[in-house]
Amino acid sequence: MSFAVTLRDVTLKYRDTDALADVNLDLEAGKIYGLLGRNGAGKTSLLSLIAAFRKPTAGEVFVDGEPVWENAPIVSRIALIREGGDFDDTETVKSTIETGQIRPAFDTEYALHLADRFELPLKKRIRELSRGKRSILAAICGLAARAELTMFDEVHLGMDAPTRDAFYKELLAEYMDRPHTVVLSTHLIDEVANYLESVVIVDRGRILRHEEVEVFQNMGATLTGPAAAVDELAASHDVLAEQQLGGTKSITVAAAVDPGTRERAAAAGIEIGPVGLQDLFIHLTEPNRKGA
Amino acid sequence: MAAFPNAQLPTRKYGLGFALSGEALKYFKYWILAAVLLSFLGPLVLSRSSDIDLSTWFYTANVAKWFTAFIGGGFIASLVPTMIAAGLTRRELSVAHGVFGLLWSAAIGVLVIAGLLVERAYYDAMGWAQGVQGDDSVIAIGSWGETAAFASVYPLMYLVYFAAGVVVGAASYRWEGTGWLILVPILPVVFSLDNAVYNTEPFGPAWAGVFGRFIDEWGTGLVLIGIAVVTLVLVVAAHRIIIDIPLRSKKA
Repeated sequence: MSFAVTLRDVTLKYRDTDALADVNLDLEAGKIYGLLGRNGAGKTSLLSLIAAFRKPTAGEVFVDGEPVWENAPIVSRIALIREGGDFDDTETVKSTIETGQIRPAFDTEYALHLADRFELPLKKRIRELSRGKRSILAAICGLAARAELTMFDEVHLGMDAPTRDAFYKELLAEYMDRPHTVVLSTHLIDEVANYLESVVIVDRGRILRHEEVEVFQNMGATLTGPAAAVDELAASHDVLAEQQLGGTKSITVAAAVDPGTRERAAAAGIEIGPVGLQDLFIHLTEPNRKGA
Repeated sequence: MAAFPNAQLPTRKYGLGFALSGEALKYFKYWILAAVLLSFLGPLVLSRSSDIDLSTWFYTANVAKWFTAFIGGGFIASLVPTMIAAGLTRRELSVAHGVFGLLWSAAIGVLVIAGLLVERAYYDAMGWAQGVQGDDSVIAIGSWGETAAFASVYPLMYLVYFAAGVVVGAASYRWEGTGWLILVPILPVVFSLDNAVYNTEPFGPAWAGVFGRFIDEWGTGLVLIGIAVVTLVLVVAAHRIIIDIPLRSKKA
């Protein structure tokens, strides 16, 4: 079983500032979502409302069709893991893991197995852990929660590249073993892009886009080939990014490629590939850009 | 935090309350043991240089009030983020902390009652007088029955201090930087009532007993009812602060 999420006309204010404004969002059960947004866009606020860490100023948040606020059967099966984890720094790693047992479905054995795999010292106090180890502990607590809705908010920021890779693989293995809803909020977009099924982009407190990954990928294209030919073909498009190595150039454009352009590209020896999610994200959230 | 192997949803709040009490007692066991030893060995050492006419356990019991307030406040301030993030509702946390407060106050209260009674026998055996420092002079606690009656108020005293600590702790978490100011109305009320139970020297900041002049003449029964009412008000206030408390944003 996994949880669907529905937000209806949700607003969250911090004093006079709207962190989120009139947000309507539906997340289907059993999918892996990417939550993207610039710093301060409202990602963490959105996740905090879904996990009932905060109460919306207006609107309603439903998880599995029920209001999430103060709903023990629901919140006990939601895990929001924030960067660095919500831990008592005076506790040991072992007792922090054991705190997870307040959740009926928490898998202590699995948590201890992961702690061993990621070389977490069980007897050390949280305040003695490095940022990376702290991130790993947070991730372990999230995975072992065996929740129906698991959300990771930049949890992997402190991890080094091999650890992040191991974490993604573990997350995917856990997802395959036990389908549930996963939300990954991250700035390391290209790193997680292959794991995502759907992407939500938050910008200035509003949902800018919510599409399947394929839809995003078809919103643009990457043209690679001889520099002059690529420049000529891309001339009439919005350019998101460009790279050149010797005589070969790669330009990412923010437009779907029509059949005519495809034919011209093929004739000029240009390969057409999907647009990178990160390039598209940068383009879509460009501060001077109007509309979505 | 304590282990409560895979809690069941309907009862986990009570389980957490029991676990917190057990863990707190376990965590502070050496502190408690040191206080007990000091309370019995202290007068023995002092008796070599002066007469013993004051109850050491009276001081221990009073230190335990402030300690209990710190336990109530400190625990709630650290449990709000950890437990809500672990999937507990605020209502469950509030109930769990209530159970914790009752059990902690009962446990420490029973320890202090036992301490005062054992001290009574100990002082009798040593030929010392078990008294307390009154406003002007040392007052003997009196007979065994009076000692038991004197000691019996402590569980309630711990409960009111615990509740006061929880309100301050929860407010401090909720309103970062200013929440602790809720001490300003709470401390004088609780401390004045505490001082009014017996005509003893205040054990804490004397200025906080500012309302004493209004309640000193109430009589012990009425003061105890007042403490019970204040405890109830503090419990309701703590619940109200906790019930929609937002989790703070994480700092980078």
